Order: sequence, then structure tokens, then C-alpha cells
Amino acid sequence: MPFRRVAVVGAGMTRFMRRALETPKELAFYATRMALDSCELTLKDIDGVILGSAPDAFDGVHRKGEYLIDGAGAFRKPVMRGYVGGGTGVWAVIQGWYHVASGLFDTVLVVCEEKMSSCYPHPQGAFNAIFDHTLERPLGTNLLWIFALEMHRYMATYGITERDIALVSVKNKRNGLDHPCSHVAGNITVDDVLQSEVMAWPVKRLDVSPTSDGAVALVMACEEKARRITHKPVWVEGIGWCLDTSYWTNRDLAYPVYVEKAARMAYKMAGIVDPRKQIDIVEPYDPFDYKELHHLEGLGFARRGEAPDLIASGVANRDGDLPVTPSGGLLGVGNPIAAAGLMKVAEIFWQLRGEAGKRQVPGKPRRGLAQAWGDLMQVGTVVVLGI
Amino acid sequence: MLPLEKPQQVHRALAWQGEIPTYNIYTFGIAGERFFRELKEHGRFLGTRCPACHLLYVPPRIYCERCFASLEEWVEVPGRGTVFTFTLAYYDLDGRRLEHPDILALVRLEGAHGGVLHRLGEVEPGQVAIGMPVEAVLKPPQERRGSILDILYFRPTRR
Ligand SMILES: [Zn+2]
Repeated sequence: MPFRRVAVVGAGMTRFMRRALETPKELAFYATRMALDSCELTLKDIDGVILGSAPDAFDGVHRKGEYLIDGAGAFRKPVMRGYVGGGTGVWAVIQGWYHVASGLFDTVLVVCEEKMSSCYPHPQGAFNAIFDHTLERPLGTNLLWIFALEMHRYMATYGITERDIALVSVKNKRNGLDHPCSHVAGNITVDDVLQSEVMAWPVKRLDVSPTSDGAVALVMACEEKARRITHKPVWVEGIGWCLDTSYWTNRDLAYPVYVEKAARMAYKMAGIVDPRKQIDIVEPYDPFDYKELHHLEGLGFARRGEAPDLIASGVANRDGDLPVTPSGGLLGVGNPIAAAGLMKVAEIFWQLRGEAGKRQVPGKPRRGLAQAWGDLMQVGTVVVLGI
Repeated sequence: MLPLEKPQQVHRALAWQGEIPTYNIYTFGIAGERFFRELKEHGRFLGTRCPACHLLYVPPRIYCERCFASLEEWVEVPGRGTVFTFTLAYYDLDGRRLEHPDILALVRLEGAHGGVLHRLGEVEPGQVAIGMPVEAVLKPPQERRGSILDILYFRPTRR
């Protein structure tokens, strides 16, 4: 392949929280400084910066990319901001990868930040303009509707119950208890989920991740630099992304074919033919509990409609055969959109280095996958990391 | 004052009292204009067909995103279809709890690729099912304005 090898060599993360006193810049600074310190680099060692952040409307700053640069270590450096909605956190790593793989940069910072609490009365408001202005917005659209419509279609197509799906929320909130940055972790039961308030049936309050403030940063480097920076580089083995039609009304809804396409691109690059056997840990995007199942199927870890078996059987537990979302994910740690996606890549980085503390999965995992999803339920972004 | 209006008094152009309102004025587009004119004036639904991909787009488009052909074949489709999926929404847009949930459904019109997001009416939440045949109920002609809200709701099909 005509690319240089690229590694992740450092990572940092703020707590995810409901209403941060810190400005978006300050949140970005904490995560970025932590990432640099983790691999003993300074800003002088960094050639360029990738910024990831979801709609400007959350932080309430138009030109958020430029606004964030000082906190992201981008002062007088080449900087680029990419955006694919909720898929942004993993997409930023893909951008970091090709900046370095191309040979143009030796080291980059990848920084994702979101401060959703600035948006009043609720960040929901910022989501309304994602609907079609002629066909949908006159109905008074609410973002929860389309997730409810998709979840229902997924359930109906394969005969999956609300109980099957609730198990994901229980697992991820439990896993989140071991994450020092978590915002919404807890020991809950399936009945707690089922009895939580119905928002847009079948979506109930405990099926949904919160809105959060927070930031995550990675340092990525070319092979030559990576080997000098650390004795534990974590290599980017595969990357892939794909967008489906922007008309959500014209999609299947039961199966995320765009996630499959993104995964196939990454698997081809990484030489993976059987993801279930060749990948040790998965961090699929879990803003809603059913999405983790949806994504496990799109990523090829289960056949269509069969991902609930992975959860119910314990295979997806941290000590199971295929740990899924050992971090706690968006449901357990929190969901500052772009930062949440990057948190999933950071988790794989820490897990493969054996640095995940109480969250460490046993058995010395060697390869992991992080995936994010977003825009109008239409983008899949995938990164495979290995040691 | 609309931004398109010409200021009649110069001081009004220089000084704005209070907050400057910002909003967007959206056009329906070439396909949307024809779709909504037909709905408003004749109560009919139109789609466009891609001869290469064998897809009938409803609501219509002027191009096929799969093969990038310009679509020129306009076809009338009945205002009937089936519930592809639905949700019971217990909150309105302002976050107020609703005693009786709104029933929102994605309706696939007969023979069409795509669908229409709309409310269901004349049906109780417990009676709705995926696959249920439904038909559009339109406002009386004189009340239609050329909007998706010219459809009042979809209701179970009456035979
Ligand atoms: Zn076509």
C-alpha cells in the first residue's frame, strides 16, 4: 500500500459532565495537554491539528473550528476541521491518519470537543434544522422521532423486544462505573429501563444517552517518530467511512448498510476476513441502546437481528469473549457528540496498551475497533487499531 | 419587515430597534414546487420515475441519486400506502408532556420508493401496526396552501 504506517501514541480526556464551568477552549486544552503529556511531547513537536466538533449551534459559536484552535494546540499551525455529525469523533482520527499516512505530516493532534450545555433551553433545538425544511419541519419535528421510528423498525423486522435492547443500557451504564470521566454511569436493571418514562415509544428515557460537555485528544505519528516517542505504539490498521442517502425515508432502517460498507473498507485494509475472530474488543457507537446492536450487525459481529444474543449471553461483557463498549460508552460515560466518538478510539488505545485500569479487559487484547455514526442517521466511520 | 422589502424611510435602514430577527426563507425546489402545486390544486400525489434504476421517487426529485440521471417521467400515485414504522410521541416540541401521544408514521405510498413522515388520525395508538394500510386525508381545497400540512393526517384505509 502506498501509505506510511501511522500510530496513536498518546491520549487525553476530560470528565464528561452536565454543565461545565470551563469554556470550550478550556475543555479542549485539558484534553490536549493531557494527550501531549501522556507521550512527553510539547506543541513544538506537533506538525498539524485536526479538530472535530458537531454543529456550531451547540457551543453557540459560529466558526467553532477557528475559535477552538488555541485550546487545541493549533496556534500558527496547519489546522483542519471535519464534520460528519455524530460520526465526527472517529472521522477525525481518519483525517489524522491520512494527514500522516500521506507523508505530509509526521505528527498530528486530533482534538474533539463539545459543550452542549450552552444551547438553551435544550440542545434538541439545534437538531430541528437537520430535518427537511419543506417535507418534515412543518410537522414540528423532534429528533427523538426518527430514532423511535428506526428502533421500532429494527424491533419489528427481527422480532426483538424492548427487554432485549434494554440489556445494552444496563451493561454500558455498569461498565461506565469504572470510568473516571463518567457522567451517567450506574447499576440499573432491565426493569428500570422498561419503567423509565416513555419519550417517543419505543424510546424511553434510559434507552438514551445524555447531552454532555467534554473533550478528548489523541496524538498520532508516523512510524519512525512513533517508535521514538513510545515503546507501545498502537497502529492504525484500517479505516473506512461511508454515507447513505440523505433521505432517511428511503432507507431500510432495520439494517445500517452504510456501516457495513465503512467496515468492509477498513477490514480490507487491515486484512480482516472474520471480524468476530480477528478483533478482540469493539466500541460501537451507542447514543441509544438499540444502536449498539444495529452497529454490531453492520460491523459483521453478528448476523442481522442476532446482536441481542451477544449481550444476553454475556459474550459482550468486559470479561466475555467479545467485550463490547468496555468504556461504558455514550450511555455510561456520556455523550459530548464528537468527543464521545473520539473517546471510543481512546478506549481502544488504552485497552491495547493495558492502561485501562479498572476497565481493562482480560487476555491482553491485540486488536480493537471503534465506530461512530451520525448525520441524519446516515454515516458510518470505522477505525481498526492493533498492536 | 421582510428583508426583501425596500426601506421607504432611510432611518429605518440605518437603525433597527430591538433584536434583529434572523430566519430563513426556503424554496420548495423544482420538484417540490410541482409536487405541492398538484397536491394543493388537484389533491393528487406525484412522483418521478428513474427508468434505469426502476425507482419511483415519492416525494419526487429531478435527478436520481443512484445513477445521476435527470428524471423527466412524472407519474401520479394514489394517496394510499402502508405504515412502514411508527412512534408514539409523548412530548411536543417545547418539551411539554402530552396526555394523548402524537402518532407519527413513515408512510410508504403504493409502488413508491421513499415515503412521507406524517401524523396518523382516526385511530387509537393501540390499534396502529406496522404494515397497516392507510390513506391521506386532505384539507378542503380552499384551505390548502401548498404545504405538507395540506395533508391533515393519514387514517386507516376505508374499503
Ligand atoms: Zn437511477
